[in-house]
Amino acid sequence: MVLNFSEQGTPMLGLAKKRIWKYNFMKSSYDAVIIGGGLHGLATAYYLAKEHGMNDVAILEKRFIGFGGAGRNTAIVRANQRTQYNVPLYKEALDLWPVLTRELDFNLMFNNCGNLNLLHSEAAMKTARMNISTAQFHGVESHLLDAKQTKEMEPALNISEDMTYPIHGAMYHPPGGVVRHDAVVWGLAKGATKLGVHIHQQTEATAIHTENGKISGVSTSGGRINTPRVLVSAGGYSAGIIFRMLGVKLPISVLTIQAMVTQPLKPLFNHVVSSGAYHAYANQTLKGEIATGAHMDPWPNYTTQTTAYYIKHQAEALSEFLPCLRGVKFMRIWGGLADMTPDMAPIMDGNDPVEGFYMDCGWGYFGFKSCSVVGKYMAEFMAEGNCPGILKPFHLRRCEQHRLMGETAALVNYSPDN
Amino acid sequence: MALTLTCPVCGKRNGYEFRYGGEDKGPRPAEKGLTPRSWCDYVHMNKCVAGIQKEWWYHKDGCGSWFTTHRDTVRNLEVNEPEAPK
Amino acid sequence: MNRLNHLPTLRINPSEKRSLTYRGKSYWGFAGDTVATALFANGVRVFGRSLKYHRPRGLYSLDGECSNTCMQVDGIPNVRTENTPLKEGMRVKGQNVKGSAQFDWMGFMDKLDWLMPAGFYYRTMHKPAAVWPIAMKQVRKAAGLGTLSPDFEMKGLFDEIYPTADICVIGGGVAGMRAALAAAESGLRIILLEARPHLGGCFDYRVSPYNDDKKLYERARELADQVRQKDNIRVFTHTSMVGAYNNNLITAFQVGKEQDEFDERYIEIRAVSVVVATGCIERPLLFEHNEKPGVMQVGCAHRLAHTYGLLPGEQAVFSVGHDLGLEAAVDLFDLGLKIPCVADIRKDGQDPRLLMALVERRIPLLNGWVAAKVHGGKQVKKVTLTTVEGTVRRMIPCDLLVASAGLTPVNGPLTLAHAKLVYDSHTGYFLPTDLPEKMFAAGRMTGRNHPLSIEASGRLAGLQAAASYGVNNKTALAEAETALSGLPGPERGCKLVTAPVKGRKTFICFDEDTTVKNIKQAIDMGFDVPELIKRFTSAGTGPGQGGIPGHNLPLYVAQYTASTTPPKPTTVRPPLVPTFLATYAGTNHDMCKRTPVHDAQVKAGGIFRRIGVWQRARYFSGDFDCREDILNVRNNVGLLDASTLGKFRIHGPEALKALQRVYVSDMSKIKEGRIKYSAMCNDDGCVIDDGVVVKTGENDYYFTTSTGRACVTVEWIRYHTRFDGWDFHLVNLTDAMGVVNISGPNARKVLEKVADADVSNVAFPFAGYREFTVKGLIPVRAMRLGFVGELSYELHIPSSWMPAIWDILEEAGREFGIRNFGVEAQNVLRMEKGHIILGQESEQRTNLLDLGLGFLWDRTKNEAKTVGAVALRQAEADPGRLTLVGIQMEDNARAPKDGSIIVDDRVRGYVCTARKSFTTGEAVGMALVESQLSDIGARLDIFEDECNGRLLYARVVSMPFYDPEGQRMKI
Repeated sequence: MVLNFSEQGTPMLGLAKKRIWKYNFMKSSYDAVIIGGGLHGLATAYYLAKEHGMNDVAILEKRFIGFGGAGRNTAIVRANQRTQYNVPLYKEALDLWPVLTRELDFNLMFNNCGNLNLLHSEAAMKTARMNISTAQFHGVESHLLDAKQTKEMEPALNISEDMTYPIHGAMYHPPGGVVRHDAVVWGLAKGATKLGVHIHQQTEATAIHTENGKISGVSTSGGRINTPRVLVSAGGYSAGIIFRMLGVKLPISVLTIQAMVTQPLKPLFNHVVSSGAYHAYANQTLKGEIATGAHMDPWPNYTTQTTAYYIKHQAEALSEFLPCLRGVKFMRIWGGLADMTPDMAPIMDGNDPVEGFYMDCGWGYFGFKSCSVVGKYMAEFMAEGNCPGILKPFHLRRCEQHRLMGETAALVNYSPDN
Repeated sequence: MALTLTCPVCGKRNGYEFRYGGEDKGPRPAEKGLTPRSWCDYVHMNKCVAGIQKEWWYHKDGCGSWFTTHRDTVRNLEVNEPEAPK
Repeated sequence: MNRLNHLPTLRINPSEKRSLTYRGKSYWGFAGDTVATALFANGVRVFGRSLKYHRPRGLYSLDGECSNTCMQVDGIPNVRTENTPLKEGMRVKGQNVKGSAQFDWMGFMDKLDWLMPAGFYYRTMHKPAAVWPIAMKQVRKAAGLGTLSPDFEMKGLFDEIYPTADICVIGGGVAGMRAALAAAESGLRIILLEARPHLGGCFDYRVSPYNDDKKLYERARELADQVRQKDNIRVFTHTSMVGAYNNNLITAFQVGKEQDEFDERYIEIRAVSVVVATGCIERPLLFEHNEKPGVMQVGCAHRLAHTYGLLPGEQAVFSVGHDLGLEAAVDLFDLGLKIPCVADIRKDGQDPRLLMALVERRIPLLNGWVAAKVHGGKQVKKVTLTTVEGTVRRMIPCDLLVASAGLTPVNGPLTLAHAKLVYDSHTGYFLPTDLPEKMFAAGRMTGRNHPLSIEASGRLAGLQAAASYGVNNKTALAEAETALSGLPGPERGCKLVTAPVKGRKTFICFDEDTTVKNIKQAIDMGFDVPELIKRFTSAGTGPGQGGIPGHNLPLYVAQYTASTTPPKPTTVRPPLVPTFLATYAGTNHDMCKRTPVHDAQVKAGGIFRRIGVWQRARYFSGDFDCREDILNVRNNVGLLDASTLGKFRIHGPEALKALQRVYVSDMSKIKEGRIKYSAMCNDDGCVIDDGVVVKTGENDYYFTTSTGRACVTVEWIRYHTRFDGWDFHLVNLTDAMGVVNISGPNARKVLEKVADADVSNVAFPFAGYREFTVKGLIPVRAMRLGFVGELSYELHIPSSWMPAIWDILEEAGREFGIRNFGVEAQNVLRMEKGHIILGQESEQRTNLLDLGLGFLWDRTKNEAKTVGAVALRQAEADPGRLTLVGIQMEDNARAPKDGSIIVDDRVRGYVCTARKSFTTGEAVGMALVESQLSDIGARLDIFEDECNGRLLYARVVSMPFYDPEGQRMKI
């Protein structure tokens, strides 16, 4: 056990009476307003203040920070995506976890356990090879394993032929792992408010105002704010907010996604295990629970209710490829929102169609692993007014230009358009 | 949640028998005069309403008809068509 | 330990012994015991150790709200032994201990609590950075309770059933039974769920009078008999409700009795109306060391005696806040428990009959007193009592403290069904304001405690549920309402949140070792909403979830923050009772489809793979390169089962319009007797399907789709014509028809022997379509195709005839060297011909033009509003799209692996399929590359995984690689 000492030189117990993040009263104007006190909003605010000297920033959060996707995801991080637009972005995100832990002086509990993505057919092995080649080309470690090697990595796996989708191998990605999601929320809140950012919880944005095609302010449940810049980074609620307040439609469908944990166990798994064919992932949290999930009912919803269908499906799937888990009990299941785009890539754009308006949405279920790096670049975008090169491919107009991003090879199944 | 939907042919059935077919955006536009943006608006863009929306469903494990219904996306419940505002 | 064998309330059978082993010793219990009661009977008091501090933990409740009695049973971790029925031969082990539960080497952790304030792990162990990975390993080892072996196999049978019910009643206490009986009067089908192994609820173990001639337990058994006699009430005992979803979908699981065929079964009930009568559990009393073995809730002590025949201690102090506590004291005294005193938090309001009973027994009652602390090492030895204001203290020796602050309704089922709960200051409960549609609540959970009120509210709810179903029972309803209003209403509840203590060892959540002090720390750090406190301190996130802290946490937060708004409950999530994955998984049947000639291919040595919903033969050759299969098609003749192809008939006056809408080609140009190859795009112009269409008659077409599209094609065509109201019929014949592909230079020789028609090249040329019979009997639709680049026939046959024709062809082909080939051989054969497989040479964003299939697109049929045409026109001039090309390796020694990428300073494309061709000896393949690199002769740098920077090089070449003139398929 290592004791941590705060700046005053007193043992950390002295911290017990200190707020982790500050409360402020709302001002009538800010340089920038961020709608959504989730990870992307908090990270953007933090980097605006830290890298660009813009600390006159307000974050509006309808509930409490981390209420939405930030607190509901299972916090898997990795950089073995399919396209060259994503790999460098997520690689930088992976590199940021230790940096942020130090900067924020908050233990984000990055468990660098590595990811095993199971492959259940020759075709899947080929698809994985493309991801692996792309990763290696960008200097990201990722390897293809055969079934036996996979079993050696994770002895609980069933590699027999006697299952619906026998395991042929796995894509092994050592730099990935799991981060403690709540810690990131609270750490960023701590870091941002320390630099002067205001966080207004229980404060709902009710309207975005424009004048002559430019952003002029935001109305909130706590009063009106004048501002030349607004970022909507409200996770699953973004697309609805953007249409309702600015009349801008987005190529987004908001779906409910579910995850669950089992009762806690002594160490059993050493990696994040995921399977596309079984539509499931599983990893063991530091608390010992097996966290698992993935399913979305393929129709739009703002509900965070769970389904009987899914918890059963998940049990069936895990029973096949991790059969020892049959002796474990599910303890808690919950739902969150995933804002899905047709090409499974986010929409990050600004000054289109309204000057001073920025959006960072459409993340689906990739919002957690990207939050730090996106905060960094969205902050640059908002501070400088120009889109950083790394974000350019994710612009809003790619659908009408018939340039989908290719992050998913297969067609998505939550719209009729396939 | 356990969605049920009312198929015009088969009646009220388990929601998993159906497939979602998007927000109702009206008939297919004529090709003439379509710009990339108006085409995209019809094909990809959504209002993402948090509340009652009119939408398409297909009874895939049943009669195979497409139909529209109203659903509250906040509660994931099929609802009656809301009265038009006066 | 001697059992109180004479009690009439017992639920154990003392004549049937059951053995179990624990710590290397054999013990006995009885049928009807739980594992924990059997251990208790054998003197076990410490069942486990807590998560963080390794504090000894004992029997506290009997309904599994906490993990105190979680143990390892037969290799299964985290088994709640307090409500797990004892079965013969169980092997029981303690968990989260080094040593044993009684003597745990990690016990010193309890002294280190000062090192671990709320959320300490967020603020420690990260400086310097190198410390964290080491610390994390220790954290992982310390965390978790039970141990699961990676090769553990869960034994037993797990069933699943999906009953429907007119009314589902949750809770088999008297309120639930009365509700079920009332609703059953009108003949409705009722399902009654009870979590315990027997009906009766809180009456089952109580001997207080119900009326002049019956005791409470007798009344419960009388009602249970009435319920059993009703044919239209289906009772599931030992069945825990775990989920409630929209439209009254209820999920539960049942634990099998010894004689049942299943060990557990998953039950999913679709009910029209629901009555929730789940009663109350006890609200834990907060004081120092409130979870030490020897501290027990009222119901636990009471049931140990009356249900299991076990006196819970020798000398007991009671510290309670409700009449059930007084009743238990009186009752247990009569069974021989010594009771030095009863402390009642309430200063007044007790049932005078109970006060009288205490006086009669000379049990001192301290009004307005509460336990402040228990003393003792691993077990209670003494208790300090104090006035609720903390002004006076008194210490009393005892080995048992029966403690309970009050009651708390089990309203998890209501919360899951989205009832809004509001704090009620009279009862001190969270009570529902609006119940969801067709859901009703009854019994103790509504705050009523008088036996007659409980019953009357049950009856009323049952009638209300029947009325909501549609039964006309107005008169009965009115009577029931009147009856209930004449009976005692909800009782005033005890409001005390915590004894007057500092709270360092006052546990608000047992499972996570969260103390009152931790909650204060969290609030001081800014976490002032119960939901956030829960996340920060992990209170209520352990195996028992909110069972222990669910009520106290919001009350405490409201008190500590001096909040002006009423307390708000934390979220309750399913499953309400932790449930085995094995139980949820049930019988776990893999539903795959097999083709009509599956068995024949198994016999031929086929190696099968799951492809979509199908099992398909992927290889026949011993080597997975399929060399023999491939060369046999090129040189002799091969037989492929292509039955998984989608097959459809579309007919009717406007069938052609529908085809024009979805196919890119002009479908009006289909000639009779000829096949037409075309493609379907989505609205992005991206290819989603390709296949052939034949005209079988006037306004009558037969067409094929890829395997993956078979299940969505009807939907697709109807979707894209849904506004048009066209008159056509669409039939999915995928399962009705099988398909045999016979390919190779000898294919005609085989077919000639069996077909009842002239199949010569003149009579049945390439791209032709013919209908004939085989052996005078089997109807065949035959198409001459060239997917694999040889003379090839695709025979479509009714599925029932497939095994027969398969045998006939194999027999006829024997002299020509016929043998089976699988999907992988076909994959290589068609690649050599430059034919694409969608999904392999295309991805989601690949459009028709990218694939070089632009020739299929008819641009003149604007009126058809062809799906994809708009996008194709708009994207046509766009440079830099990924385009499909043929590649040949500069070094023919080997082909790059599929999925290798094409690079310069960035990624420019990737290899879709590439093989060293057995036919041509060249290493060739197909790749998707940016169009700037797609010119014939362009040099491509190929980056393979694990290549360590050593690139491979290829040139863009024209396709096909094999038989470019296409002679061989036309012979």
